[in-house]
Amino acid sequence: MSSIALVGNPNTGKTSLFNTLTSSYEYVGNWAGVTVEKKIGSLKNGAGKLIDLPGIYSLHPLSRDEGVATQYLIEESPEALINIVDASQLERNLLLTLQLLEYGKPTVLGLNMIDVAKARGIAVNHEVLQSRLGITVLPLIARTGKGSGQVLSVLEKASTIPQVTFRLDYGELTEEAIASIVTELKSIPGLPNLRWVALQLMEQNPVVLELLKKRMDISRLMVICDGCQNALQSSKQALTLPQWIRSVRMDYIRSLCAAAMDTTLLKPHNLTERLDSILTHRFLGLPLFIFFMYAMFKTTFDWVGGPLSDLVDGLISGPISTGASSLLHTVGASEFTHALIVDGIIGGVGGVIVFVPQIFILFLMISFLEDSGYMARVCLLMDSTMERMGLNGKAFIPFIIGFGCNVPAIMAARSIEQPKDRMLTTLLMPLMSCSARLPVYLLFAAVFFPAQQATAVLAMYVLGVVFALILCKLFSKHLFKNESSVFIIELPPYRMPQLKTLGRSTWEKGKGFLRKAGTIILAGSVIIWLMSYAGPSGLNVEMDHSFLAKFGGLIAPLLHPLGFGTWQAGSTLVPGFLAKEVVVSTMNIIYHAPDAAGLEGQISQVFTPLSSVSFMAFILLYIPCLATVGVIRKETASWKWTFFSMGYSLVLAYLVSLVIFQGGSLLGLS
Amino acid sequence: MASTSCSLLRLQPGSTGSIQRIEGMNPILRRRLADLGVSEGVIIRLKGKGPFLGPITLECNGQLFAIRRKEASMIEVNVS
Repeated sequence: MSSIALVGNPNTGKTSLFNTLTSSYEYVGNWAGVTVEKKIGSLKNGAGKLIDLPGIYSLHPLSRDEGVATQYLIEESPEALINIVDASQLERNLLLTLQLLEYGKPTVLGLNMIDVAKARGIAVNHEVLQSRLGITVLPLIARTGKGSGQVLSVLEKASTIPQVTFRLDYGELTEEAIASIVTELKSIPGLPNLRWVALQLMEQNPVVLELLKKRMDISRLMVICDGCQNALQSSKQALTLPQWIRSVRMDYIRSLCAAAMDTTLLKPHNLTERLDSILTHRFLGLPLFIFFMYAMFKTTFDWVGGPLSDLVDGLISGPISTGASSLLHTVGASEFTHALIVDGIIGGVGGVIVFVPQIFILFLMISFLEDSGYMARVCLLMDSTMERMGLNGKAFIPFIIGFGCNVPAIMAARSIEQPKDRMLTTLLMPLMSCSARLPVYLLFAAVFFPAQQATAVLAMYVLGVVFALILCKLFSKHLFKNESSVFIIELPPYRMPQLKTLGRSTWEKGKGFLRKAGTIILAGSVIIWLMSYAGPSGLNVEMDHSFLAKFGGLIAPLLHPLGFGTWQAGSTLVPGFLAKEVVVSTMNIIYHAPDAAGLEGQISQVFTPLSSVSFMAFILLYIPCLATVGVIRKETASWKWTFFSMGYSLVLAYLVSLVIFQGGSLLGLS
Repeated sequence: MASTSCSLLRLQPGSTGSIQRIEGMNPILRRRLADLGVSEGVIIRLKGKGPFLGPITLECNGQLFAIRRKEASMIEVNVS
């Protein structure tokens, strides 16, 4: 079996091609069109494994994503490479191509998006590219799958892809230095192409430097590099060695593009220009964005999602519940089994399944924003606000994904270049109301603020964002001193997202929720139900004398100042740490509610409008769920930061709920 | 034709200039710009300025991107 790596700049369609070339794949962590780690799949024709690496601009890593790709090339020598380039952005894309050719592995160049290039009036002659670079060049339209058949047949026998003969001449001075570095490296076993290593060293690629430091004393190599740099300076060719290498490459790329590309018919991005003049307008841009967000929430909760959820609720509390009940009756199930299935499982899991339509609609709209190209503009609009708070606008995409689920959002933060910005984004992510907290808001909003449901729910989201911004300012001032943030973002042309892709990415995001419903929430519901069914005096006890009541009663005094010092509220918090979805299913079980209306009736008795707001704020802030804690630990690689994120949120939740309830009481609210 | 050099920020939205010098910029940003093909001698167009002193949108080699004003002021361009 051979392994073939897929390499290219971000947004060039690597993942689209990956999906058409492979039949099955091992899921390593791909979210919303962003490959955050390498993804491995087996080729459709059984010729080997295909590895989808994160998009990179060059082999010199800046963000963690890029580090993954460079590390891969150094440590796990693949048999061949497929380099995907965007035909409409050829000049920029070829910089990586040259570095890959120097790497020396057999390479196939996939010239993607020839349709996009054509529409813009750019004609690329792939035969010229092929003869100049000395590798196979295949024109592609990865989005529709056109040309992928040829790629497959070329890959059929990876061993027959010809060796790369490409070699760029860096001039006498540099070539001498390369030759002496190569001589020094010859004694070190297990290195990839020595000329490539020498060039990467001269470019000061940190991953390569690190690797060499582990195996040898690099001081002699550095002397060679310094000598070469001094010679370049005194002959007035360049200021630094990396600059010189880059400029030689750029000159070559320009001459190559001049020969292979015809841009005489080049047209501007008309649609993009027109849309941008409105959507990123200096005065209209932000209000429009806020309006879109409002419309998004309104659609999710009022216009489409709400009615759909009611439909599902009717189905579960009606036919499914009574059906199961009569079925159990017929087979003569014991009272225990009957209660377990109807109250524990259907009541608990069903209470959460009700929210599936709303969650999928939210994910669908987030996917639409991502695929259309608007999300990048949002980062642009938000940057000045975020900068004042000590972060950069790029953190906004992870934050928006965080509204779906915090776990992938924290992983998406890897695309941020600066370590400080990445850390801040990770630490603050739990303040974004993920879809698991949504059921709680929806439930309470429906009971206490029926006329302004969308506004009430939106207010909770805004509350989280406001605290994220305040804490961001605080943390960046006191925890990360003297580190300013940088901001640069590419703005892709606007595109109408394809239905197929939208469906796929919505499903990828939403299935996590369904999977949780089937595992954690199911297990949680059963355990909670058991605790409510059993008590110190035996089985089938009064709820007030159950283990659950005893347990919740222990926490209740602490929660009293917050306005919800009941054992019922207390006992929802601990399972809520496992997964916030369990909060609502716990309530379903505790209040023994047959359906949503019943639960709403119970809640209106126990909570007041003021204490419901206090409770929602507490649920929003109190602690990241177990899965999020796990990913924070993984991404920060530090227990200190992990405990910090749990600790600060718990303190914040208590303080905020206290202020809401006590302050509200003083103002005479109830 | 007479040409004058000034900071990129002084360009009128929609007009172009060729980059003469980039100085004093954060190295991470400098490299990212180079990755996008933004370097000396290249033609760059100022597309628009964001709200609340936010980032400015630029076009270079057919690629749209945005950077902050502070950084953009470190790019000196030649206008003919």
